[in-house]
Amino acid sequence: MIETEGLTVRFGSVRPIDGLTARIDAPVAGLIGPNGAGKTTLLNVISGFVRPESGSVTIDGKSFVGLSPVERVRGGLRRSFQTEQVVEDLTVVQNVQAIADHLALGSSARSSVAQALQYTGLESVRDELGGSLNLFQRRLVEIAKCLVGEPKLVLLDEPGAGLSNEEGEQLQRIILGIPEQFRAQVLVIDHDVDLIRAMCEQTLVLDYGKMLALGPTAQVLESDSVRQAYLGEL
Amino acid sequence: MADIAQTSFSQANPMAAALRASRLQILAIPVVMAIFALIMGNFANSFYLTAATSGVAISLSITGLAILYGQLGLVSLCQFALVGVGGWITLRLGHGFDLPYELNLLIAGIGASIVGIIFGLPALRLRGLYLALVTLMLAGIFQVIITAWNFPDGGDGFIGRAAGAGRQILEKPSLAPTPIAYFYYVVIIVTLGYMLAQWHRNAKPGRAWALIRKGQTTALASGVNILLYKLWAFALAGFLAGVAGGLLAGVAGQLDSRSFGASESLNLFALAVVGGVFNWYGALIAGLALRFLPAALQDFGAYLSVGIFGAALFQALAMEPTGVAGRLSLILGWFRKKLMPQKSTPQNAMSEGGARD
Ligand SMILES: Nc1ncnc2c1ncn2[C@@H]1O[C@H](COP(=O)(O)OP(=O)(O)OP(=O)(O)O)[C@@H](O)[C@H]1O
Ligand SMILES: [Mg+2]
Repeated sequence: MIETEGLTVRFGSVRPIDGLTARIDAPVAGLIGPNGAGKTTLLNVISGFVRPESGSVTIDGKSFVGLSPVERVRGGLRRSFQTEQVVEDLTVVQNVQAIADHLALGSSARSSVAQALQYTGLESVRDELGGSLNLFQRRLVEIAKCLVGEPKLVLLDEPGAGLSNEEGEQLQRIILGIPEQFRAQVLVIDHDVDLIRAMCEQTLVLDYGKMLALGPTAQVLESDSVRQAYLGEL
Repeated sequence: MADIAQTSFSQANPMAAALRASRLQILAIPVVMAIFALIMGNFANSFYLTAATSGVAISLSITGLAILYGQLGLVSLCQFALVGVGGWITLRLGHGFDLPYELNLLIAGIGASIVGIIFGLPALRLRGLYLALVTLMLAGIFQVIITAWNFPDGGDGFIGRAAGAGRQILEKPSLAPTPIAYFYYVVIIVTLGYMLAQWHRNAKPGRAWALIRKGQTTALASGVNILLYKLWAFALAGFLAGVAGGLLAGVAGQLDSRSFGASESLNLFALAVVGGVFNWYGALIAGLALRFLPAALQDFGAYLSVGIFGAALFQALAMEPTGVAGRLSLILGWFRKKLMPQKSTPQNAMSEGGARD
């Protein structure tokens, strides 16, 4: 469960997050909003890359205030990036191992990596270099990295961007299974409303730093303010 | 710098990965080195044997540079100063105490490693040109100190300088008292050093370095302690330089402070790039070139080889970021493909074997 309380982020005169108080408790939750709405910034705050000016973030009741990004990773937080970050000259398995290395998993590291690869269907390409993968495979590598070593919260920044419909459906199945298989909560950013509708029980809509809506996805997407501010634009 | 590294990454391919992942690859190092040593040991005259011994010794320090530059994109221009530190420690211990040569080498490696970490501290904040300049200044500081002290030659006190007739030559290791035996001795220790470096590339540190290279944010999001792994690279590079210095001291039993100027560190970096920082044997190629080319060209004046190195560096930076070793690896891959055609499809024949194994 993610809880924010009066969360405010400031870059000079811009407030990409402005007094956000929200409680996200669905196993798979969506985060949508127009370009520049502050979605990625919220992920950056939760994962410790951006320090909020004020307010707090708690994950499963534990405050993350003052923890470095690395400490948050060790505490079970995982994230992917809007532009995928697969290392080209490491193999798939090495890319996933690269996070397992730092999680103090001991003898379970191997099986944890193997499980993540198997779950994401990457086993057949485990020895291929990152540089030789297609976009979908790269996105899957990023997700596999998020699943290593008992994750508690997985933040995915537009994992579906640039994928074909078929790939999107496969991605959807993979993301949907994460809470049950890995006992982790997932927060997904995406511009594809259909993907969000299909995956997420609950959705938070951000609009230039403010919360426009938060609730069951169908309800949120039906609401007038959301249709006007966000969907109307598309 | 980043651009250079980037270009070479794109040449990577699945076959290379499979090779890299395998343990066999680390075992290729002693096999290749044994063949090299037997050929040199049996056919080189004493002049070229000495050149080869010091070239192989120096190549170990180039392996350190290759780690810093090839793995992290860090330009260090004080590596030869660290060779000097290792040489100084070895000479000091060798003249002052009665320890086995191998132990002296180990202490020299650790000593240079500590200095390497200190020299690496600026790298935690600086990158690219600024880091290069700071490390070049550190090399300059070493040049000043070593010019004032010179290397120990059997005298008393901490600095260990003997006046005039009291000068002594450091004894070679008891295991390898003759030049030819010492050549094999150096080859064995350097081979172990290459293997240590290669192990680092393939294991946890190599993966952490790869993430740091990709970007600080990515590395942090994967839980990498960036500070630790950067310093680790500097420690390893320093260690290899220190051992190289200790081995170099044993070639003639003495070192001359005049050959440890800051410009030598520059030369070393240039050759590391020319030799190739992504393959273990790039360092060997570079070390041998550093000693053989000037020896072969000595009739044409001292600066011709510097000019050739400069031109080669330019060529490498502009067109061949994986260096001679990268090119060689592609050629070897092509032959491998010819010999084992069933293992892959024809269209990737030329890239097989990879530039970075
Ligand atoms: N490090 C930063 N420094 C200054 N401004 C920033 C920084 N990061 C983000 N911003 C600004 O904050 C605002 C929100 O950006 P953010 O990346 O969070 O949007 P987003 O909702 O993820 O948009 P998109 O859908 O395009 O990814 C934008 O105006 C952006 O320019
Ligand atoms: Mg974004």
